Amino acid sequence: MDIISTYRLCKSFGSTTASDAVSLQVQEGEIWGFLGLNGAGKTTLIRMLLGMIRPDSGNIRLFGQELNTGFNQWNDIGYLVETPFAYPELTVAENLKIYYKLRQLKQPALIDEVIDRLKLSPYRTKKAKVLSMGNQQRLGLAKALLHKPRLLILDEPINGLDPEGIVEVRALLNELAAGGTTVFLSSHILGEIAKIANRIGIIHQGRLVTELSTAELAQRLQKKVVVQTRDGAATLALLATHYTAAVAGPDNTVEISNPQALQQPEQLASLLVREGLPPRQLQLVTEDLEHFFLRTIRS
Amino acid sequence: MGAVFMLMLKNPDAMAKEGALSAKAQLMGMVASWDAYATILTQAIGVGGILLFGFVASWLFGREYSEGTAKDLLALPTSRTRILNAKFCLYLLWCCALALSNLLLGGLISLLLDLPAPTGSGLHAQLWVYGVTSLLTLLLGTPLAVFALWGKSYLAPLGVVALTLVFSQVIASAGWGYYFPWAVPGLYSGAGGEYKAQLDIWSYLILLLMSGAGYLATVTYWKRADQSK
Repeated sequence: MDIISTYRLCKSFGSTTASDAVSLQVQEGEIWGFLGLNGAGKTTLIRMLLGMIRPDSGNIRLFGQELNTGFNQWNDIGYLVETPFAYPELTVAENLKIYYKLRQLKQPALIDEVIDRLKLSPYRTKKAKVLSMGNQQRLGLAKALLHKPRLLILDEPINGLDPEGIVEVRALLNELAAGGTTVFLSSHILGEIAKIANRIGIIHQGRLVTELSTAELAQRLQKKVVVQTRDGAATLALLATHYTAAVAGPDNTVEISNPQALQQPEQLASLLVREGLPPRQLQLVTEDLEHFFLRTIRS
Repeated sequence: MGAVFMLMLKNPDAMAKEGALSAKAQLMGMVASWDAYATILTQAIGVGGILLFGFVASWLFGREYSEGTAKDLLALPTSRTRILNAKFCLYLLWCCALALSNLLLGGLISLLLDLPAPTGSGLHAQLWVYGVTSLLTLLLGTPLAVFALWGKSYLAPLGVVALTLVFSQVIASAGWGYYFPWAVPGLYSGAGGEYKAQLDIWSYLILLLMSGAGYLATVTYWKRADQSK
C-alpha cells in the first residue's frame, strides 16, 4: 500500500521553483530518504506533505486519502520540520503534555513511554530552554513519536545529535520501520541517508532527479583501480594497450575503470611486474557518496 | 499616575512643591474623590488599554513564530480554528484580568487615600462605563492577531498598535475620532471630554465590524496561507 503518493507536485515562490512536478510513492514500512542540497526543495515538499504549504498543482495522497481540508488522519502522522523548538519556559514533560492534549490522546502513559524511549528521563523536569541542542532534537523527536504514528516525516532528524545520538536514532528508526512504521526523512548528508534508508530520492532545484534503492545505489557508484608506479607515462601506455578506460590520474597515477581490471586486479599487478613496472600502490577505489550525489545533480 | 493626582489633590499644601503635576491635576478640573479617580481609571483603560491589550494580543499570537513552535500546531487533529479560538479565549481572560486588577488596585489605593466613598448609583454608573470601555478596547485586539500571523512575529502587531495610537490622537484631534475604531474606547471613557457626545451607533458598529473582520481574517489567513516558517 502506498502510504505517501504525490503526483506532479509543483510549487513556486515568485520566480523560484521549489517543487517541479515531483511524483513519488512511499510504501508501508519503507524508510525513504530524501536528499538534496540546502534550498533544493526538501522542506517545501515536506511542508506540502503536512498541509502547511499548498501546491500550485498536482496532488498528494496519504494512506490513500487525498490531502485536502477534509483530511482527518493527522494522528497517524508524526513530524519534525527543520530545527525543533519547544516552549522554553515549560519542562520537557509539560511540552509533551501540550501535544498530548492537542492530539486528543487518551493514554497518559504515552508521555512517560516516549520520554524513556528518547532517553530524556534525566531532563523530564528541566525547562526546554536549558536543554542542549542534542536534547532539543530528542524532544522534537519525542513530540513526533508520542502518539505512535504510522508515518513519520522527519526533516534533518539527526541535526545536532552527537555520534551516540545518531547511532541511537538510526537504531530507533530501523526498529520502527521493522514494526511497520513508514519513515520519510530528508537530509543533506548522503552517507547518513544511505545507512538508514531503503530507498533514496535525490532532489535538485525542485526536481526529483533520481530515485533508487540502496542496492541500486551500491551498483551505481563508480569503481576504479588506481595504480602508481615509478613511471606514470610508461604505465599509462602499457595499460592502455591492455585495458580500455585507462586514463592518467593525479600524482602520476593511472586510473582504470575496466570491469576486467576491477574483477581481477591481481592480473593487472602481474602484468606490471612482468613489464618491469612494479606497482608502488594498487588500490580498488569506490566513488564516495558525496561525489556520486554531486555527479547525479550535475548530470 | 491617577493615584498621584489624587494624592496631590488631597494634600495640596504638602505637595505644593510638585508644582507642575499639581497644577495639571487642578487644570483638569479634578477633585480628590472616588468619582474623579474612577474617571482616570476608565480613561487609562480606554487609551492605555489599547497599548496594554495590544501587547497581550501581539504576544499571544506572535510568540509561536518568535519561538519557532508555530509549525507544531499546523498538522494536528485539533483544527487550526480551534487553536486560534483557544488563543482568543486566553486573550479575553488576560484582558479581563488586567482590567479587573486595575480596578481593584484603584479601589485599594482610594481606600488608602481615604477618598470620599461613591454613592450606590454613582458607583454602578462608573462600573458600567469602565466595563464597556474595557470591552470596546479588548475587541480591538482581533485585527492584531492577523498582523502577528502575517508578520510571523509579535513585532508587526506592536508596530500596528503604535500606529493606531498615533492615528487615534491625530484623527480624534481633527474631530473625526468617533468613526475611527481605535479612538472610540478613549472617547467613550471620557478622555476626549465633550467629544464623547459625538459617538453614535455607527461608531460602535464600525468598531464591532473591525473586530469581527479581524477575527475572520485571522482564522482565514491561518487556514489558507502557506506556512513556510
